[in-house]
Amino acid sequence: MAVKDAYQAVIEFDMEKVVSSVKAEIAAGTDIQTLLNEGLISAMDEVGKKFSDGDLFVPEMLMAAQAMKAGLEVVKPHLADGATESRGTIVIGTVKGDLHDIGKNLVAMMMEGGGFEVVDLGVDVDAEKFVEAAKAHNAGVIGLSALLTTTMPAMEATIKAVKEAGLNVKTMVGGAPVTEDFAASIGADGYSADAPGAVEMARKLIADQKMAA
Amino acid sequence: MCLNNTRQDRMQHFTPEEIQLLHDASMKILSEVGVEFNSAAAVTIFEKNGFKTDGKKVFFTENDVLKALETTPSRFVVKSRNGDKNVTIGEQNYVLLPTGGASNVVTPTGEQRPTTFADYQTCCRLVQTSDQLDMTGFLMVQPNDLPPQTAHLDMVSANITLCDKPYMSATSTGETVVDSIEMAAIVWGGKEALHREPVMVAIANVMSPLQYSGEQAEVIMEMARYRQPVILTTMVLAGSSGPISLPGVLALQNAELLAGVVLTQLVGPGTPVVYSSTSAPMDMKAMTSAVGAPETAKLASGTIQMARFYKLPCRTGGALTDAHYPDAQAAVEGALTLSTAVRNGANFIFHACGQMGGYISMSFEKWLIDEELCRILRNMLTPMTITPETIDVETIASIGPGGQYLTHPKTFQQFRNLSQPVLFNRKDFGKWFDSGAERVDEVATKKLAERLEGYSKPPIDTGLEEALDEYVQRRKALRS
Repeated sequence: MAVKDAYQAVIEFDMEKVVSSVKAEIAAGTDIQTLLNEGLISAMDEVGKKFSDGDLFVPEMLMAAQAMKAGLEVVKPHLADGATESRGTIVIGTVKGDLHDIGKNLVAMMMEGGGFEVVDLGVDVDAEKFVEAAKAHNAGVIGLSALLTTTMPAMEATIKAVKEAGLNVKTMVGGAPVTEDFAASIGADGYSADAPGAVEMARKLIADQKMAA
Repeated sequence: MCLNNTRQDRMQHFTPEEIQLLHDASMKILSEVGVEFNSAAAVTIFEKNGFKTDGKKVFFTENDVLKALETTPSRFVVKSRNGDKNVTIGEQNYVLLPTGGASNVVTPTGEQRPTTFADYQTCCRLVQTSDQLDMTGFLMVQPNDLPPQTAHLDMVSANITLCDKPYMSATSTGETVVDSIEMAAIVWGGKEALHREPVMVAIANVMSPLQYSGEQAEVIMEMARYRQPVILTTMVLAGSSGPISLPGVLALQNAELLAGVVLTQLVGPGTPVVYSSTSAPMDMKAMTSAVGAPETAKLASGTIQMARFYKLPCRTGGALTDAHYPDAQAAVEGALTLSTAVRNGANFIFHACGQMGGYISMSFEKWLIDEELCRILRNMLTPMTITPETIDVETIASIGPGGQYLTHPKTFQQFRNLSQPVLFNRKDFGKWFDSGAERVDEVATKKLAERLEGYSKPPIDTGLEEALDEYVQRRKALRS
């Protein structure tokens, strides 16, 4: 038995096996951070990479995320205080005027799988609400999602509001009509074309944000 | 001799039992699960009419649905501004419209650039000069250079002035529909005229699964108030916003659409409704909607059959592709999705020309190529007149074995009845190569310029144009 059993169970999206492996490792006295990082989070990184490479289907990726989350629930009570905060908090939502949330929910799940605390504001979220939530939760990143081309201006308005509030928080955008060029043109700090890429981008932005703090 | 004379088509034809199963499943969804309307005004209308509600959730009985279907027309006419281009939608009649919603254009070099209002005006001119397209759409491209709050005013104005075919109303919110109604009233001499007959149509979208956003509920209600046709559209993505099974998608979308139909009839009995779906499978690797997929065509066929069951005109299909360039993939997928929709009986075919992958971009080259596709399809579906005169055994007898027909007077009289392509090549290889070896998308780029040069603005009363402009400027001043 080893940490790599939990890792493998996540890759195989086997929830029962993830939970039992994690429990076994905790009982065996394995270092909790190691279990979290090498058993669970790294496994999700691998899952994300397989998906981005076209080797895994979305339902499989989501199954893996759910299995990992089950393992995470077992690990959480054993984590030292503040250990989860070290990874960062993401505030995420679909912008004002847009009710689409499936993609956003997918990203939120993958962010949790990546070890972040995720504050999901839901849909049709106005700029002020994003700003307030980022302040209240000491977020490192605000993630904005849109599916309708007509709501993309709301992304620009939100980023503007964040900048005007003077918060030390990074912004990233995504969604079917959103492109890297568009993200740059509205002053977003980051963009991703898919959910695993969003996790990587969020990590990069959190690292940048910490350096700026 | 006894030959089987029934129509042959290998596409699935649902049995009455299968249709009943789907209908019954939708009735169960409507009565037990309900549909959410994020509009207090809409919920109030349902409550006042005795519907069971629970917050924003509305429940429907089969009787509610059947009652609504008593007043929906199976066919309707949309009038054109100068009176000579009216269209009929429903039963055997169908209309083709260009693509809509894209915010990028695919350039001849395969890149994408944002669309502008100038592109929108180009779309109006292309519809006006098209021998295939029957109406202008709304948001044919997204005018990214116009303020979003007032862009609809410029778009509807362009539809009315640059083209005199019937058009689509603005459709983003109830307020934009109100503006469209006011502008139509200017054209038709008052709002009362609108009650008498349709002068524009609007697309209203469902939010799957089983929801209507506040804005779209308002669009439905405003259009119904003036009895203007609603193209009530859902786009369920199998495995994402709807079930993984295609019959499940048909039952879900049916429930969604029938709920909207009921709302139109409660607000305006007799309002024409077009039962519309662009449902497609979710591609589970790319996490995109696979609109060029075979499942999309199957769902389109199913949608048409359900609409026919309810005696409602139907919108589905288009020349749909997931490709990002007008290439072979675009042609294959577009031809199959468009021909399925037209051949299976759709009545309103949006995105018949110009759509590109994900509905996020469009291509003017594909627009022209798709027009060739439409031209071919219409010809294919024009029946042959079979009479002794058209068979003309006398001519066959007079030429006999081993003769030729090229110099026969009948050939000389009638050869122009055979189709000639506008874009596609028929030259042999040598001639094609020597004249530049152009690919069809390159031919399209050239033809596009020629086509736009040949455009002339349709006649419009100066007073009318001024009145429209005055309305637009006044509303812009208020809304900016």
